[in-house]
Amino acid sequence: MWTGPGSLGPRLAHGLRFTEMAGSSVAEVQRAAIWRNVRFLRVVGQLVFAVVVVWAFRELYLNLEYGVRRVGTDLSFDFLQTRSGIPIKEGIAYDPNQSYLRAYVVAVANTVRVAGIGVVLAMLLGLVIGVARLSPNWLVRKIAQVYVEVIRNTPVLIQIIFWYFGILFALPLIEGGLSLGGVAFLSQRGAAIPWPHIGEGAGAWGLWLLGGLVLAGAVWWWRTKVNERTGRPHHRVLWSLPVLVAVAAVGYAIVGDAVRLDVPEVAGRLYRGGFQLSGEFTGILVGLVIYTAAFIAEIVRGSILAVDRGQKEAAQALGLSPAQQLRFVVLPQAFRIAVPPLNSQFLNLTKNSSLAVAVAYPELSSVSSTMINQAGRPFQITMLVMATYLTMSLTISFVMNVVNRVVTRKGEGR
Amino acid sequence: MMDRVPTELERVAAMLKEEPVVEFAPRREPVAPSGWIRQNLFSGWFSGILTILVGAVVGYLGFGLLKWAFLTADWTVIKANLRLYMVGRFPPDELWRVWACVYLVTALAGLSWGVTRKRLAWTVRKAATRGALAVLALASLAYLLDGVRIWVLVGAVVVIYAAAVMAGRLGARRLHIPVIVGWVLAFPLIILLLRGFGGVPPERWGGFLLNVVVAVVGIVLSFPIGIVLALGRRSSLPVIRVSCIGIIEFVRGAPLYTWLLFGLFVLPFLLPAGVVLPNIVRAMIVVTVFSSAYVAEIVRGGLQGVHLGQYEAARAIGLSTTKMMAFIVLPQALRSTIPAMISHFISLFKDTSLLAVIGFIEALRIARIAPQGQFSGDLRETLIFAGLLFWMVAFAMSRWSQRLERRLGVGER
Amino acid sequence: MATQPVAGLASGANDAMIVAEGVEKWFGRFQALKGVTTTVRRGEVVVVVGPSGSGKSTFIRTINRLERHDAGRIVVDGIELTDDLRNIEAIRSEIGMVFQSFNLFPHLTVIQNITLAPRMVRGRPKADAEEKAMQLLERVGIPEQAHKYPAQLSGGQQQRVAIARALAMEPRIMLFDEPTSALDPEMIKEVLDVMKELAGSGMTMVVITHEIGFAKEAADRILFFDDGLLLEEATPDRFFTEPQHDRAKLFLSQIL
Repeated sequence: MWTGPGSLGPRLAHGLRFTEMAGSSVAEVQRAAIWRNVRFLRVVGQLVFAVVVVWAFRELYLNLEYGVRRVGTDLSFDFLQTRSGIPIKEGIAYDPNQSYLRAYVVAVANTVRVAGIGVVLAMLLGLVIGVARLSPNWLVRKIAQVYVEVIRNTPVLIQIIFWYFGILFALPLIEGGLSLGGVAFLSQRGAAIPWPHIGEGAGAWGLWLLGGLVLAGAVWWWRTKVNERTGRPHHRVLWSLPVLVAVAAVGYAIVGDAVRLDVPEVAGRLYRGGFQLSGEFTGILVGLVIYTAAFIAEIVRGSILAVDRGQKEAAQALGLSPAQQLRFVVLPQAFRIAVPPLNSQFLNLTKNSSLAVAVAYPELSSVSSTMINQAGRPFQITMLVMATYLTMSLTISFVMNVVNRVVTRKGEGR
Repeated sequence: MMDRVPTELERVAAMLKEEPVVEFAPRREPVAPSGWIRQNLFSGWFSGILTILVGAVVGYLGFGLLKWAFLTADWTVIKANLRLYMVGRFPPDELWRVWACVYLVTALAGLSWGVTRKRLAWTVRKAATRGALAVLALASLAYLLDGVRIWVLVGAVVVIYAAAVMAGRLGARRLHIPVIVGWVLAFPLIILLLRGFGGVPPERWGGFLLNVVVAVVGIVLSFPIGIVLALGRRSSLPVIRVSCIGIIEFVRGAPLYTWLLFGLFVLPFLLPAGVVLPNIVRAMIVVTVFSSAYVAEIVRGGLQGVHLGQYEAARAIGLSTTKMMAFIVLPQALRSTIPAMISHFISLFKDTSLLAVIGFIEALRIARIAPQGQFSGDLRETLIFAGLLFWMVAFAMSRWSQRLERRLGVGER
Repeated sequence: MATQPVAGLASGANDAMIVAEGVEKWFGRFQALKGVTTTVRRGEVVVVVGPSGSGKSTFIRTINRLERHDAGRIVVDGIELTDDLRNIEAIRSEIGMVFQSFNLFPHLTVIQNITLAPRMVRGRPKADAEEKAMQLLERVGIPEQAHKYPAQLSGGQQQRVAIARALAMEPRIMLFDEPTSALDPEMIKEVLDVMKELAGSGMTMVVITHEIGFAKEAADRILFFDDGLLLEEATPDRFFTEPQHDRAKLFLSQIL
């Protein structure tokens, strides 16, 4: 069934010659060999394959239907509209009187939350550790290496359970908990960090910010032109950033209550204010980030090392300083190499968030497990869950593919 | 930063001379400790600050960790539950089966090691680290193991390994094929040893043994399925190609946990009425299918790496498609995928810890339920031990994979 | 800049561009250079030949510190090559290098490749750097390729861009590490022509090559390396007709 006739060729040719000698037409030859004809076989083969697959699916479906009816449930998705009665401790607005569908949506939102924040934090941490692995400082390099070797080779589930049950639970309760300078807190029950609180004047300040950005952009463009004209270093960031900050500060002063920093405080046995992360969320986030960062660190290191040695040497020979070598020659190429494996890691982190079931963070997998136990429609729920994860995976891959295309646009003459 | 010589350069230099590298002139004088410190830790003001900061933090954490490990931690929970950790509720009087499997694997591993090693190149530093590790291992074993019998059994492992390594080195190239055959046969042999002759049903397999068995079953059975899927994915027949892509993407799109739930809750309904598969078998099926999708992608990468010219040359000498695939294409493709395969196996092995969450009594589960009664509160110790079990195997395999990569010269990324 | 003039000569009137004395280099236990001593004068074109693995590449890479020499002394234009970063940078700015595998930066256009170092290291204005780049591209014969990416050029064109890129930093010495070994035969000539023109214009050049024709035409001196040692130094006429050393004779019999 593969391309090319293979051993068919000689025999076919032989038959052709034979009948030509006998004076028959080419058409006769073709008819005679139809059960060996490649195109015929291909079509028939696919047909047979398709028939087998369809038959197998039908059999499975019949079994499913029968089994489901035997235990008294059905294969419809109607149950999603019924009252769930599942308590979900965190996430967007929800109460157990709402439908299963609503509970499901809340769970998905929770997954997106942990995956989104996790990806960003893991990327940052992985970048730091990856660079540390290449540091000329022996101590830094060794610590990073130990980190990667230990974290990478231990199952992520063990790590998550360890962080949550082993570390977080060992912390004191809220009233006796840890505090970072009195503005951030960590305890057995979770964490609370300062968070901007959008006030009345936020819209107006937004306009000021926009203006600041435009002005900073103009300064950026101006300094770039100066550099091109005279060759003096542009110090673009050094010039643009203060402009942005100044405009923002002026606007803030004028507008008034635009954005406040909501600093949390310990109120009795609870936190009040700020951005509160539940213990479960903190546990799974820490576990996922630390685990995935180890893999991202290796990708960072690997992609920098994968840049052809000659590139670095050519840059050295031209007199570029090590910082310039990195910035203009090595890192742009390393980034291009890193995009596909980074995509895999982001997907892995998203899928590993399903392990939150071990720490009772109500994301997609844990809530759907509860739903199966309660609503008892394992097939529908499992299908739904798989479809959801598949959608998330495809979305992430799509975005990364766009990034990939953008960075490989240059330098591809093929 | 140029002072570290890449290993390829050394290999090139060695290749230029046919004989193994011989010591010519003395190498550069080793830098005195003060010089080394200056160069590696304090080469600049930034580096110096980094060293001090990192050193302080690491020192503080490390010291705290050591203090905890030796003073406050209660490791007796491990000792008390060692058998549970290793084999779960495996009937104690059938444990000889497990030991037989262990010896079999040890012998094969030793042979493989002996057969692939070329020169012993032990620098002082390597010898020191390995010596320290051996002492540490011995000390922990002394703590954990009680009684002559268990020491004899564990000692036998070491003896068999050493003997196998020596045998492997003596046999060298001649033993290549027998070793590979041995590994292939080992898999059904192990199942037979555990199960056969009135053996222990899979439902009673537990602990770390369960993790290992599920992982091995998964990887071994998923290998042929994965190859078939990969070939199907490259087929020119659209129906087959689309089906294979669909299967691969669908399986890979969902996390293993979801698939395990599927296996646990949905699979019974898909089977014809009356067919009941034990939980463990269903878990193995799920793990196998899950692994196949990843193996398929790895093999696909390997197939893509085979030059077009190979296909053309094979056709030119008249090989049929099947023969071409079997003798020319697949051997080359699979060889280049070895590092990725090993990496996948390590992942799969770690993922077997997920069985804990769906109720199987494997190593992680033991770690979670062991802290009860007099041991309650010892969760960290039990988790660390479980993690250590996985870590040792995973780390050893990844080091072996790195060595294999260097030897085979597969530098493909 | 911290410079150390070669003992005995007043700096400035220095005719010796590169002085190597007893240069040794180890890779682990393998000794690649076993004590190389030679001098390259201003304007001289020195061609280095020898079997592969003889240390030729290692030697010229020690000159611009792509490899660090383990023993001996290297002095470039009066500046001694030590671990002092300022010396290294000063020396590197005097030396241009052309590699066997071109090593053009694939993510930058041809003209960006050439102007990167002048703009970032020397601080030249963009317009000046580009003007100079175009002049160099004309000199090597491919001004029309300025805005293409390296992957879109042939091997010979890429190597010529690499030569232009090295020249953009106005070096006093040009090192060539087997510049034509990775090229298809029909493209070797175009690169050698550029190198001959460069030699004719008075540039100090050290060239590792197997192109005997080029050596005979353009070289002032041939250095023969074998097994980490500089075995023979002679003019091209002398070397190719009457090699003294046995191994030189063996080498020539294999390639001529």
